[in-house]
This record gives sequence, C-alpha cells and structure tokens, in this order.
Amino acid sequence: MRRLPALGLLTALLLPSGTLAAVGAEPFTSGAVARPASEEEQRAWSEAEELHDIIVRSGVVYDDPALTAYVQGVMDRLYPEFRGTIRLTLLKAPHLNAFAVPDGGIYVNVGLLARFENEAQLATVLAHEGTHFTHRHGFLSARSLKNNAALATFGSLLGVPILPQLIAISSMLGYSRELETEADEAGYRRLLQAGYDVREAPRVFEHLMREVKAEDIQEPFFFSTHPKLKDRFGNMTRLSAHAMGGGDGARRDEYSRIVQQARIDTLENMLSMGRAKQALIVLEDETNLRELPPHALFWQGEAYRRRGEAGDAQKAEASYRKAIEAAPEFAPSYRALGIVLLKAGKNAEAAANFERYLALAPDAKDRKYVESYLRMARKEPGGKP
Amino acid sequence: MRRPILLLMCLALVGCVPTPARVDSPRIEALDKSYTVDLPAGWIRQYTSEKNVVVSRDGFLLETLAVMRRPLKQAFQRTKKDVSETMLPSELAELEIAEIKARDDQTAALTVLDNEPAVVSGKEGFRVKVAYRNPRGLEFYEEVHGVVDKSGLYLLVYRAPRLHYFEKHYREYQRTVESFRIAGT
Repeated sequence: MRRLPALGLLTALLLPSGTLAAVGAEPFTSGAVARPASEEEQRAWSEAEELHDIIVRSGVVYDDPALTAYVQGVMDRLYPEFRGTIRLTLLKAPHLNAFAVPDGGIYVNVGLLARFENEAQLATVLAHEGTHFTHRHGFLSARSLKNNAALATFGSLLGVPILPQLIAISSMLGYSRELETEADEAGYRRLLQAGYDVREAPRVFEHLMREVKAEDIQEPFFFSTHPKLKDRFGNMTRLSAHAMGGGDGARRDEYSRIVQQARIDTLENMLSMGRAKQALIVLEDETNLRELPPHALFWQGEAYRRRGEAGDAQKAEASYRKAIEAAPEFAPSYRALGIVLLKAGKNAEAAANFERYLALAPDAKDRKYVESYLRMARKEPGGKP
Repeated sequence: MRRPILLLMCLALVGCVPTPARVDSPRIEALDKSYTVDLPAGWIRQYTSEKNVVVSRDGFLLETLAVMRRPLKQAFQRTKKDVSETMLPSELAELEIAEIKARDDQTAALTVLDNEPAVVSGKEGFRVKVAYRNPRGLEFYEEVHGVVDKSGLYLLVYRAPRLHYFEKHYREYQRTVESFRIAGT
C-alpha cells in the first residue's frame, strides 16, 4: 500500500472521464437492496472480502473496539439506511487516508482520526467514502482498471495478489474527477441531513494539503500540480459558505476525549517511523498541545531531534526542559535531555538526567542503553562507543 | 552474428550479478574489502546489486541472513537519513526500526521485541529484534545487529518465520555476528 502513491499517475491516466459515465450504474438506495447486480460486480465484492482478509491477517488493524464503535456510529448517523451494510475498520497507519471498497467496507487510518479536530471533520470523510460505496464507485473503477492490461502487468511486477490490489488501488488513490466531485457533493448533503456543522468540511482539505506539503511528495500529477485537492477545497468552501452551524455542530469536546489514545498512539507511531515533519504538524499547534497530555512536549522534542534540521537540537532541548517542567514524573524526558546534554559535552548534567530516568523507570526496556550512556557521562571504562 | 552478441550479453550479466553459489569456505571478504565474516557452511550465497551478501539454507523466501555495508550519506534510503560515527547506538537502532517500518504496510505495524546495546566487531552497536506479519498472516522475526564507524554503517540481518525456522538457524546467525570484523579494527 505504501507504494500506491507512485501509481497515482497511472491510475489517473487509466480513468479517462466518460469511461465510467458510459458504464452507468444506479446507486444503492439502502442496505437491504445493496447487492451485486452482475457476476462481474459479485467478483468485485469477493475481491473486497479477500482484501479484508489480507488486511486482518497482516496485523494492521487498529484494535480498539470502543473507538471503532464510535466511528461506526458516526457512519450510521450519516447513512442510517445502510446500517449493518457499511462496515468500518480502523487501520494502524498514521497517514491521512481512508478508502471504500465495493462491498461496503470502509477503511480509515487512525492517523486521520488523530489529525482531525472534531467529529464534523471525520463525518466529512465518512460521508464522502460512504458515497463511493452507495454510488458503486469502487466497482466501476476496479472494472475500468481491470480491463487495462498495462496495469495488470504493473501490478504483477509488484509481486502482489493482483485482484485485491486493484480494489485497493482504485479505492485509495481516488477516483476520476467526476466521481470525486459526486462523492463530495452527495457527502455534503449527508452531512447536512445528519446535522453536522458543514463549515468544518473545508478544514478536511486544509489538513490534506498540509500533509502533502509535509510529505514533500514528488508525484507531480497526483499531488502537487494536479488541481484536485485545491479544487475540492474550493468546492467545499463554496458549498458551505452560507451554512449555519447545524444541529449539535462539530462535537469537538467529545471527539477529543474519544480519540485521545489514538492521537497518542499515532504520534508515537509517526515518530518511530521517522515521520517527524508530520508529527510536528500536530505538535507545533498550541491547540493540539492543550488537548494532549502534558508530556506531549517530550514528543515535540523528539520530533525536532529526529527532523534534524538546523537549530532543531536546540529546539529539542528546550522542549524536553518544558516537558520536565510540565510533567516531572514522566521519565523519558530525562533520558532524552540526558542524550542531548551528553552529545553537547555537558556530562555532569547529562549524568544527573540519566540517573533521574533510571530512578523513575527502573524497569525501562532501554535500561542497558541508558546505563552505558551514564558510564560515558561519568567517563567510566566501557562507556565510550 | 547474433550468437556473439548473445554471448556478450550473458557475460555482461554474469559480470554484474554473480550467480548463487554454495558457501564452501565460510570466511569471506566483502567485495569492497571493507569487512570479513564467517558465513554458515553449506548455505547458498548470493550478492545483491549493492554488493551485499545474502545467504539462505532453505530458500531466500524462508530464511535469509544478510551482511551489509552502507555509506554514511543516505545510509537509510527509505527514510532518507544519514548516519555519522558519533551517533549513539540507540540512535542507530531507532533509525533502523524506522527504516524497517518504511518497507511496507505490514512492517509498518511491527512490534519491537528487543532493542539493546551489542558489541559488533569489537565496537558498541545495537541489537534489535522485531516481529511482523506478511500479507498471508505468517509471522516473521527479524533481528539486526548494527554498528557504525568512519567507513560506513554495517548491518547483519537475520529474517525467518517465527515458527520453526527462526530458532532453527539462530545459532548460525549468532556465530556470523561474532565472526564479523570491519577491516582495520
């Protein structure tokens, strides 16, 4: 799946406008009648099931029943007549992404939940993805892709099971401009009907554009010069320009409470994947920091250290010191500050921080590392790499 | 006329990518002379296009043992990270974990089982052991020993399914790590 952005150009080229329009397929009107209308569509549904099996077996499902139930609840509120047919699965990935498959499976990266600020923004994405299912976009696009021998060859070269991969490609990389516009507009109507504050919808595209910038993505057609995201941001802004705050609006507080652990897991995952720039999108935002535990400043320091740009070492040290002030019992801040000080030659202060870390976290998994750094700081034998 | 061209092409291919061979004499020297190491006798040896050596006993899709040297600049290609000889072992381990996670969606969801200092070629390095599943749900263990000096980053990697294979040949991997020597150390 990580390779898929590189396929964006190929996918876009293989989906000329008019191809799908010529196929024609009536949208499903409820879960009760959402069934494959042909053998070909039945195969697409089977392939979607196969993809689900692969996802489950691969160990990439984010296992949080309460959070999954919450997201499913938002989807059911948007699509009450499809309750039980549209099924949510959360994925561990930290990227901003969600996709729909032909049989009603909707996959949402937990990174998307972590980045959004309120339920209305989440609902914007779910309403959009739900339309991809109800309007059978996944089947139509997969059908178009499958008919193209060039892509089949390319997929085989990747060494992946081609059919489920096709479903994934056509779902995750977006559809033709017409289908995306249809999903945006139909999704917008769902948001209004469900009583969400539609003024939050354009924010979703702002988040996406910031992600693309932080990723420094080079695929020029799909992300950088293709007007898709900017167009869609413009469309959504236009649609919501005269909207009032509707119903119970954005549901920010409840959302923040429910996704708290997902935010923490995503930040830790981003940092362990070396995605410091993406983590800093969250961690340089004062509003986000207020909604995270006090030791989030430690993660901010980690993100600066791992980004490693000019001046980041100093920023990291400052963040670690602030983290210690805000959460003096949170051990990792002392270890991190100790390493910064050790590398700066401030050995006595480094040793004090390592000692504090080991006192606060006597069973730390990285105890052996820290003990060796403590020996280095004290200039004891066996401490110098 | 065609046969000489075909022959030349074959020779060129052979020259670029050495064919797999059985490890008869365990001690080998890196193609760039940067290290020596004892590989498990009887295993099949292959060189990659980056001139790293990979060996396997039961097949490269089952267990693989690799010895790699990478330049300090862009030592971690997927995450585009450099290394330096002043880096601490835990910092190297952190970059290696990020690099494995960047490999694909399955490894992105890996679990770190062990992460600790380790002596490699007489120098302080790291040992990391991770677990992840492939798309068919088979669980793999991957263990990496790493160390850096002014000549580059050196990694010894052992990867095999958790069930049966990882333990079966783990001792051979340990012996390989113990025998590894960076040239001039």
